[in-house]
Amino acid sequence: MPHFTSKKLILLLVGMIFLVALISFSLRDRQNATLPEQIIKDTVGLAQSIVAKPANYITNIFNDINSLLTTYEENKRLKMRLEEFAVLQAEVNTLKSENKNLRELVDKETSLQDFNPLYATVIARNPDQWEEKIILNKGTAHGVELNMAVMTSKGLIGKISLVTPFTSEVELLFSNNPNYRVSAMVQGKNKDVFGLIEGYDVERNELLLKRIDSSLDVKVGEKIVSSGLGGIFPKGILIGEVTEVTTDDFGLTKMAYVKPSADFSMLQDVIIAKRSIVSIDGSDGEGTNVDLTNEVEESTADEGEEK
Amino acid sequence: MIRFLIPFVAVVLFLLEPVFALFSPITFGDQTVFLVPRFVILYLIFISIYYNRGRAILYGLFFGLLYDVFYIDIIGLYSFLYPLVCFVAGYAVKFIHQHLSVTTILSVLLVGLMEILLYYFFFFINLTSIPFTDFLSNRLLPTIIANLLFLIMLGWAFKYLINARVLQRADDIS
Repeated sequence: MPHFTSKKLILLLVGMIFLVALISFSLRDRQNATLPEQIIKDTVGLAQSIVAKPANYITNIFNDINSLLTTYEENKRLKMRLEEFAVLQAEVNTLKSENKNLRELVDKETSLQDFNPLYATVIARNPDQWEEKIILNKGTAHGVELNMAVMTSKGLIGKISLVTPFTSEVELLFSNNPNYRVSAMVQGKNKDVFGLIEGYDVERNELLLKRIDSSLDVKVGEKIVSSGLGGIFPKGILIGEVTEVTTDDFGLTKMAYVKPSADFSMLQDVIIAKRSIVSIDGSDGEGTNVDLTNEVEESTADEGEEK
Repeated sequence: MIRFLIPFVAVVLFLLEPVFALFSPITFGDQTVFLVPRFVILYLIFISIYYNRGRAILYGLFFGLLYDVFYIDIIGLYSFLYPLVCFVAGYAVKFIHQHLSVTTILSVLLVGLMEILLYYFFFFINLTSIPFTDFLSNRLLPTIIANLLFLIMLGWAFKYLINARVLQRADDIS
């Protein structure tokens, strides 16, 4: 062992205490970045986005080659679905107009489904993949706020967990955070079944939809979408598909394994969804133990009447 | 010129890490394998062995801090581990033969050790719940193999660069 003088030893001890204090400080408050943190994040983010551009370009070339190789098969499959699609399109159009008319009839303008999309590029992914996290090139300067939903064209992938002026961090759905829940529903034929996406199964790499009422029926293959009832996310963002239904750990409620529809391994372009209707962020935001509902009614009386 | 090349290479490696992380996780059949790029620390270990231990620890502190703030949001984790690994590498070099193959194996082993420490830390704060055997087969071994490949490809370049700097410095002094 190297020879320690008492001076060095004291320095080492003080260093250790400082370190533990720093770790516990940053573990406690993980939703707001301090000013020096923000500056470092923005600077590194800028450099990172410059590096990410050629890297994305190269991976795009590989993806293009890959899709070129499977073109024939895909074309065959798509042709079969084309006729189906035309019928579906017509049906969607009639439903849309009907929905609009009905909405005018009941004087309800805003819906949980409405959101303003904000397009962002992934500039980095946490290299030590302990915590599933990606970093985007849009921040508060572009209108990103904490807890907004983040999705790809295929489905929901996570929510904004931290913002700085020019970058934002996304906590992906595959998270061990016990406070990370997404209010979701199963789109059944007749009735929607509600539940919460809570955690994931490590071995199967699938999300868990928990707290489903045991009297309700959930079938394999049904689609899971966000319900918008959590107060933050817009309604109707696709999450995945049910692959298995079992009972919960305590046998009181049902639990479903959900295969996410989005591809989590190669994320490049994502959409940040800010929902149009007023959002209530409860304990996810700064409103822990605050009477949020009354406050909202006071401050936005007009919107309250609309509902 | 070479004087600035050494920190510059470290910065480039730091920025390349997340780009390579985008390829992970890879699925082989029914197994999901995580590859963690550890380019910066491998480079710093080389600096520590072939150049200057104090310098390596200083760089380790700097890049560790950047890593913590930008990716992990737990300040003090990597900014402790990076200098520690550099220190151990600089200490171990007195007992080993400084051949490239030996240092390559030593660096990869140190990175493996760091992974294990990180696993226990994240297990302790409940960020992960995977058992140690899964960690060993799905994360540690693939990571070690991937980083070993990286070092086999670029280790000689690191050594060449650092040696050039050492020679230049010797020239400056004399």
